[in-house]
Amino acid sequence: MKRLAPALWLLLAAALAYPAGPWADQYVLHVLVLVLVYMVLAMGLGVTPGFCGLLDLGFVGFYGIGAYTAGLLTLAYDLSFWVVAPLACVCGAFFGVLRGAPVLRLTGDYFAIVTFGFSELVVMVLTNEIWLTRGPLGLPGIAPVSLDFGWLSAFFRPGTPLCYEFSGEAPYFYLALAMAASVAAVLRRAKASRLGRAWLAIREDELAAASAGVDVGRCKTLAFAVSAGIGALAGAFLARWSQFLSPDMFKFWESFLVLCMVVLGGLGGIAGACAGAATLIGLGEALRALLPGLGIPVEARFLAYGLIMILIMRFRPGGLFAASARQPDCPAG
Amino acid sequence: MLEVDGIDTYHGNIQALRGVSLTVAKGEIVCLIGSNGAGKTTTLMSISGVTPPRSGTIRFAGADVTRLPVEKIVAQGLTQVPEGRMIFPRLTVLENLMMGAYPRRDKAAIPGDIERVYELFPVLLERRHQLGGTLSGGEQQMLAIGRALMARPKLLLLDEPSLGLAPLFVEHIFSIIKRLNQDGATILLVEQNAQMALQIADRGYVLETGRIVLEGKAPDLLQNPQVRAAYLGLE
Repeated sequence: MKRLAPALWLLLAAALAYPAGPWADQYVLHVLVLVLVYMVLAMGLGVTPGFCGLLDLGFVGFYGIGAYTAGLLTLAYDLSFWVVAPLACVCGAFFGVLRGAPVLRLTGDYFAIVTFGFSELVVMVLTNEIWLTRGPLGLPGIAPVSLDFGWLSAFFRPGTPLCYEFSGEAPYFYLALAMAASVAAVLRRAKASRLGRAWLAIREDELAAASAGVDVGRCKTLAFAVSAGIGALAGAFLARWSQFLSPDMFKFWESFLVLCMVVLGGLGGIAGACAGAATLIGLGEALRALLPGLGIPVEARFLAYGLIMILIMRFRPGGLFAASARQPDCPAG
Repeated sequence: MLEVDGIDTYHGNIQALRGVSLTVAKGEIVCLIGSNGAGKTTTLMSISGVTPPRSGTIRFAGADVTRLPVEKIVAQGLTQVPEGRMIFPRLTVLENLMMGAYPRRDKAAIPGDIERVYELFPVLLERRHQLGGTLSGGEQQMLAIGRALMARPKLLLLDEPSLGLAPLFVEHIFSIIKRLNQDGATILLVEQNAQMALQIADRGYVLETGRIVLEGKAPDLLQNPQVRAAYLGLE
């Protein structure tokens, strides 16, 4: 681990303090929260193609499953975020395993096609199962996140309502930051563990990994569950943050955007995935502001993403922020 | 320790092994020689569980392992060093060695075993933070053997350890195999380089088109006129 320069620490402190002050701009905060959500998504997606070497084109499916799980549970049972988020995680992980089971033997393009089909399936279900999801009308009016300390008041002043309901972007910023930081910490630990080494070995060579005693099927299934669970966690946050969900929010394009972030940052890197998310979301917002002034339609920003990906592939195939010094390999033997 | 009894293995519809039987006793080096396509690698793959046989049985350390998946067989102490070395190119040398220890539960003993591998192959110590794919062919073979040793195997299956190596490296690898055996390892060795293999082995089997056609003590095989003509290039 490199030592952070003092300037970086200052920047970090400023970033932490900014949302709390009265000078904070709601739009800037909104973009910052968005960046954090995509960081979580990029880290979650990174597990499958980055650690295990399986191209996942349908990651947004889990994001959607998590979001709708959280949204529906909140609307139906008025549950707290702190209950809903883990449930959404578990539900996402369950679908991750469910999707993983039939594709365990697939690799490469075939795996990618199945994942792509899966995310389309999720959108179809969200759109058409109107009795459950209200279809294209979406789910409005999902309660915001709140912190309920009512149970604490029993200790000193019985009866005092000690409930803080999130409003504005600042509290969400800190919540998203905590979420991103814990996901990063968990993945960092996982990557350095025995399981993490097994994942990397599978990426390198499945047969050799099996010969070394790795239960390939089990390790892959675990990777799917972890990846999907993280995606669903981001979804649960989205549900309570935007307070509105619709199937459109989970179209294929989102999977691709997150995948771009992972590739841009450097496959297999945790910091890289975060940097990729910050770059693409930041750029997207900048172009959204800039392009209309130039008389170009806002949608043209997607062209910029494409251009960036081509440049990356040409000049830095290992990713902009390649986490380690790992160069594209010379084949063994 | 290892008893292979009449196995038939198929690649798709093509029968690659026809009733192959062989045994390896504790502490032996047994070599399996034969020409290209005779079924040497298939025999090892059948034993290690990568291509399980359609019929016949394989018993290892008294237990039937014929139908077990690869990783379960490895966990029983039967480790294969695959042909073509199959190291993990984008993991470092140290990470590759750690992968070898994957099936083990006794974490505390692992650093000591890594030291032992470094002692056998000092070049791996020098290159421990280098990516596996950047090593030379001979170094990769050492890494592959080192990785297999990290599993503390009861039986080591070596598939063509001399393949594609410079003659000097071949001698070095064979002297290491001999030394491992003297330290107590049991080894089943598949080799095209019949001369080298028979010189270090206790016993040998000759495989031709999926059948064992000859077996015996290694010195006898070295003197056998058929073997001398077909595999040693001697009259």
